[in-house]
Amino acid sequence: MSTTRAAPTAPRPGQEPGATAERRGRRPEPGGWRTRLYRFDVRYVPYLLIAPFFLLFAVFGLFPIVFNGVVALRHWRLDDPTLTGWAGLENFRRLFTDDDFFNALANTFGIFLLSTVPQLLLALIVASLLNRKLRAQTWFRVGVLLPYITPVTASTLIFSVVFARDTGIANWALSLLGIGETEPIDWRSAKWSSWIAIATMVNWKWIGYNALLYLAAMQSIPRDVYEAAAVDGAGPWRQLWRITVPMIRPVVIFTVVLSTIGGLQLFTEPMLFDANPALGLGGDDGQWQTVAQLIYKVGWRDLNLGYAAAMSWALFLVILLVAAINAVITNRLGGGKR
Amino acid sequence: MRRSLTHWARAAAVGAVSLVMVAACSGNSGGGGDSQAGGQVTLKINFWGDFGLDELKAKYEDANPNVKISLNTGEYNAQHEDLQKKLVAGSGAPDIAAVDEGFVVQFRGQADKFVNLLDKGAGTYEQKYLPWKWKQTLTPDGKTQIGLGTDVGGLAMCYRTDLFKAAGLPTGRDQVSALWPTWDRFIEVGQQYTAKSGKKFIDAGTNIFNPVLGQQPVGFYDESEALKMDGGPKVAFDVAARTIAADLSANLTAFSPEWNSGFVKGNFAVLACPAWMQGHIKNTAPGTSGKWDVAAIPGGGGNWGGSFLTIPKQGRNVDEAYKFVEWLIQPEQQIEIFKKVGNLPSQPALYQDPAIKDFTNPFFNNAPVGQIFSKTAESLTPQYLGKRNGPTRVAVENVLNRLATGNLKGKPDQAWTEAVKEAEKAARS
Repeated sequence: MSTTRAAPTAPRPGQEPGATAERRGRRPEPGGWRTRLYRFDVRYVPYLLIAPFFLLFAVFGLFPIVFNGVVALRHWRLDDPTLTGWAGLENFRRLFTDDDFFNALANTFGIFLLSTVPQLLLALIVASLLNRKLRAQTWFRVGVLLPYITPVTASTLIFSVVFARDTGIANWALSLLGIGETEPIDWRSAKWSSWIAIATMVNWKWIGYNALLYLAAMQSIPRDVYEAAAVDGAGPWRQLWRITVPMIRPVVIFTVVLSTIGGLQLFTEPMLFDANPALGLGGDDGQWQTVAQLIYKVGWRDLNLGYAAAMSWALFLVILLVAAINAVITNRLGGGKR
Repeated sequence: MRRSLTHWARAAAVGAVSLVMVAACSGNSGGGGDSQAGGQVTLKINFWGDFGLDELKAKYEDANPNVKISLNTGEYNAQHEDLQKKLVAGSGAPDIAAVDEGFVVQFRGQADKFVNLLDKGAGTYEQKYLPWKWKQTLTPDGKTQIGLGTDVGGLAMCYRTDLFKAAGLPTGRDQVSALWPTWDRFIEVGQQYTAKSGKKFIDAGTNIFNPVLGQQPVGFYDESEALKMDGGPKVAFDVAARTIAADLSANLTAFSPEWNSGFVKGNFAVLACPAWMQGHIKNTAPGTSGKWDVAAIPGGGGNWGGSFLTIPKQGRNVDEAYKFVEWLIQPEQQIEIFKKVGNLPSQPALYQDPAIKDFTNPFFNNAPVGQIFSKTAESLTPQYLGKRNGPTRVAVENVLNRLATGNLKGKPDQAWTEAVKEAEKAARS
């Protein structure tokens, strides 16, 4: 832009005279339409160009968020149109005494920890393996991304079969190890088993994706750093923790924040893991009902939209808090200065 | 300056493209699925399971070239909840919505959102219907009829003759009926079966709970909409809990994929069978044809399920929808549905029709299912099912499932307290 904004200058020596004439001939008159166009271009076109995003965001992002805030302060029940009006903070107050909400919150955190921690650690290890000299490197790199491009509904339905009580591959594999031969594990019946099953689905999908992010960051680390470390006698493990992780810290923080947001909003996997997904219960005792699922249930099955909106605001605040804490902790762990 | 101009042109082009894209996103893509185009009408009908409409749809479309029928089957609870949402939202409901008796009171209370079928001339069918079936969709003042009955769910007990034989039990349907006059005797027979075969007898505790509850005079709610857990539900819960405690249950969640594969693999030998269950068994495990038979249910009679077809007012093709519903409830179609999926018509005159009276189902070892189910339907005294019946049932069923598999395993006393608690929560939520 700066070049166009500069006033036309006198022709530099050595420039073709023809070009000069042409320039001079089209020189905008002060106050003429050309100048106005020119100004418009310089001043407003950039805004015009970025407008579509902000328009779309305002319509499909901002408006729903604001409207959700309004709904959270109201009574609104779809099955009883007479129950409407301002509720003030009642919906939020109800949250604090709702066992279902705290159960869902605990489940969400449990599954979140079971998925995020191993997921990022394994992604780091996979990435550092891919970062070495390998045969068929592209093949492996593409292969690691395959789970990510699988639709989550499809993979969940498959895992749902894998973790079936009577016919599942998971139980079959465990029985080879002599576990649960007489009484196969009913993955859906207890908290711990259902959490593991769901965390497995999440891990499977996202390890490759995160690994590729890490890999991209690792490519920028100079080889001689490793060579120097190797000369000093550092093994691969030590190199990973002392060199690689600190040097790709921004990406690590990025993935931590991203998986925090994703993990706390977990919905599809727990939903489809249910024997009867349409109920949104997350097991017959809500063993694995996540907050997102509970919001769905309260809003669209109990048709209590006001309360569901309050819950989603609570979830938003929780995510904000956890993401901030995580970012700070990762920052410290990576050995970074704040 | 040339550079600036081409730059400007490029910018304009990009801007135009993005505007077009915004327009495309916000525009009415697909023309809103206008069903009236060129006199062509598309009737959307929502139901669950199998209403036996696949072949009838083609037949009706052939006779009425301007009508297309779109069948949308879904999950039982989800279809009803979806209808409720659409009624409140004021748009999006199908032209014809099937409603089960378990949800009918809830929708009858919003009769103003449905087409009053009496205005369409449905009154002429009143005499043809089982009186209680007619009343279930009629508003208490008798002025609005929101639905026409399709089927009733008179109860029987389906059982696998091959598995019974292998376990040394009699296989003839009269002998089997004589084995279990009461639910206590039924549990004893089950214990014999499991002791001999080493396999489970029933599919799930919930599929004992529902039929036993269907046999009680009062269900979850009395007619003043008060939750009555100590009456019928307690009786039914106890029987179901005892079958679980006796280790008779394969603990399969009803209507789940594992339940369905249980049919194929013979994971259980008996199943409480309302008439409509015949279709489900046949669709799920076609390979077991001829191995099933139908006997009387312990405790005698009872009703479980049975549906209605309603026409939400917001539909665009109300008249065409009524024409189709009217056609569907004619004897010819009702008989065809019965033969195909087993749904027993709710018009008693048809029970005398040879097509039903003499119908034997080859899938069920040629059992005279026409007679069996007509008999239970005629002698049936239906229960009042409250507004919150659907969610309450789900809540109690979940407690039974937990008693079988989860943290309540083997604690029937605690389970009952929990069931009451959950039912009360469902009644309030």
